Amino acid sequence: MCEMMCELGQLTRCDGDACLMQGETCVTTAVYGPTEVRINKEILDKATVEVVYKSKVGLPGCAEKMFERIIRNTCETMILTTAHPRSGINIIIQEMQNSGSYLACCINSACLALLDAGVSLKFLVAAVTCLIDNEGEIILDPNSKQEKDGKALLTFVFDNKDFSIVTVNTKGSYSSQQFKDCTSLCKKSSKQVFEFYKKSMEKLLSKDNFVK
Amino acid sequence: MAGVNLLSDQGYRIDGRKPNELRRIQCKLGVFKQADGSAYIEQGNTKVLATVYGPHEIRGSRAKLLLDRVLVNCQYSMATFSTGERKRRPRGDRKSQEMTMHLKQTFDAAIMTNLYPRSQIDIFVEVLQSDGGNYCASVNAATLALIDAGIPMKDFVCACSASFVNDNPIADINYLEESSGGPELIVATLPKSDQIVFLEQNSRLHEDNLSKVIDLAVKSCKDVYTVLDQTVRDHVSELSNSHGWDH
Amino acid sequence: MRETPLSNCEREFIRKALGERKRLDGRQAYDYRTLKIAFGYDRGCCRVDLGQTRVLAQVSCEITSPKQQRPSDGVLFVNVELSPMASPVFEVGRMSDQGVEINRILERCLKESRCVDTESLCIIAGEKVWQIRVDVHVMNHDGNLIDCSSIAAITALAHFRRPDVTVDGTDVIVHTIEEKDPLPLSVHHMPICVSFSFYEQGKFLLVDPSDKEEKVMDGKMVIGMNKHREICSLQVTGQMLLLKDQVLRCSNIAVVKVTEITEWIQKALENDRQARSNGERFGFREAVVMDTVTTNQMNPEKLK
Repeated sequence: MCEMMCELGQLTRCDGDACLMQGETCVTTAVYGPTEVRINKEILDKATVEVVYKSKVGLPGCAEKMFERIIRNTCETMILTTAHPRSGINIIIQEMQNSGSYLACCINSACLALLDAGVSLKFLVAAVTCLIDNEGEIILDPNSKQEKDGKALLTFVFDNKDFSIVTVNTKGSYSSQQFKDCTSLCKKSSKQVFEFYKKSMEKLLSKDNFVK
Repeated sequence: MAGVNLLSDQGYRIDGRKPNELRRIQCKLGVFKQADGSAYIEQGNTKVLATVYGPHEIRGSRAKLLLDRVLVNCQYSMATFSTGERKRRPRGDRKSQEMTMHLKQTFDAAIMTNLYPRSQIDIFVEVLQSDGGNYCASVNAATLALIDAGIPMKDFVCACSASFVNDNPIADINYLEESSGGPELIVATLPKSDQIVFLEQNSRLHEDNLSKVIDLAVKSCKDVYTVLDQTVRDHVSELSNSHGWDH
Repeated sequence: MRETPLSNCEREFIRKALGERKRLDGRQAYDYRTLKIAFGYDRGCCRVDLGQTRVLAQVSCEITSPKQQRPSDGVLFVNVELSPMASPVFEVGRMSDQGVEINRILERCLKESRCVDTESLCIIAGEKVWQIRVDVHVMNHDGNLIDCSSIAAITALAHFRRPDVTVDGTDVIVHTIEEKDPLPLSVHHMPICVSFSFYEQGKFLLVDPSDKEEKVMDGKMVIGMNKHREICSLQVTGQMLLLKDQVLRCSNIAVVKVTEITEWIQKALENDRQARSNGERFGFREAVVMDTVTTNQMNPEKLK
């Protein structure tokens, strides 16, 4: 896996935000919530989760809407929506740099931003991307050049309760054995992502301002 | 537009005007019956029609209601046949949206807005023919329409454009002068106090020359005021004569 | 969502403080907040922080057919996105009045002052030209979006490199970065917007107003200027009455501010150029300050 780096609480207007860098890929997420929601979107027994995805160039098209949907579904699973009936939780994701393993970075930054905002969650999620290249080798966290040449790209999202799969997104063809191999490898590395969340929050809430 | 000489050696402009000369202004008040106030103005080949409704109750969304002053609602639109190339949308594009905002801002500052709280005044402006200085003609027309509607204002609002060619400021520029790439400065003032209500400038103008160009534009606004004032006086005396009121 | 209103008490406080020549954040009347410029991994991508206001700009290019009136000129397109990330008031999709205003000011400042040489963007006259698109995303709104956006837009334009092309008869070959070095745009001058806010009918004026100062102001004047002291755009917004002297005073202040900001931008561009040519690491991660509690870093162990 590549190096991870995060910046929390950089924006002033939102309730929580996170800027996550995984390798060269960089995503900023802001969270508002729980907050008021438009009447026509109000749900009586739980919170409405909305995700807005902003790409860096051009206007949003069908692909962006699809992307938004995947992230929304993942976030809705993770958030304890029944704790905030008739309110809204808005997540805004801004692309800063797309250099591969992009969906994973978006989901991870959304999870960090939700943590920073203090939204009640059922569990945390960690997304990991892996690539099956033409030789059948599995590469974790591929960059955009590797993604272009690869055979199949798989993104898994795990929860930290019993490490079950929350979301899977795949592109390309692969055998069921390869799928199993990828799942177990990504599951293993997702533990490192959870460790990173934990360390980041520990540091954020630590008493001393500067870490030795 | 290279090769076009905007100011001849004799000091005359493309259409034969002197640098500080305005185009001919012809205007008329009360051109419509159903509106509370209306006016038509021609500044050279730029022709603009303005109508005013109000003050009346808030229409549309009540969220816009203001508790301490009147809501000034403007709509700027350009007829599809007003430009050389036929326009597809008369309003709603970014430029007309911007113009609408500028008109609203100008008249918000000039109308005595605190006299009619919780009400609304509508100003509709339609450009029939465009030959440069659309904003200026629109402001001048709307001022006359507001006066026709009898809405209290701090003063007339007069607008005029100016440019800077060969070290000379020129007033009230037409379309050709506007599109030649030179600077364009638009000013709206309250002529009695020379206070600037609106100011905008496009293209490049050196900072040292700003003062000269503003001076000419402000002076031209005063000239516009003389014409508008005379029109209003003529209109009122004509009205009173037709009603048989003696002076 | 609706904007949280500023209480009368706070309003009065800010006004009163201004009367005593004091600002909430301790700045002098003509001071800017700290300006930070960070470049992304891609060319033509930069993030500008002006105090807490944060803007991201990205320049991109594509080949299109030119406009009929100007067959041998490339196209420059400016788009400002007021993302809900910046403030809960901004909505997705519909362009608000404020959005239109910022968009038009930037467009006028960059396009009508002809700071980018559009003629050099022509590939085949009348058929194919480059369209340069500047996307400005507002990420955090703490006042003075116009200045921040204009700095981001012009810096991104100066940082951008477009792919080289060769014309072979009617065929156009676009070279990848590996084949031929990409070319910078020819930026003639750098127009930068400087905003002034006015209080008490123009008695007091402030440079670079923050969000709260903007909520209290009577009106605002924006001057777009380059370091050659040429005014590229000028606009007064808000309901206030001005005198000519006040306009001239602002333009004199703008001269000083524009010189400072231009120097700062050049320095940032030079730093990035050196980092790239010396093979050092570059991108947003280099701008992260590591020794605070809000940041964290991890190098995961190798699996398998």
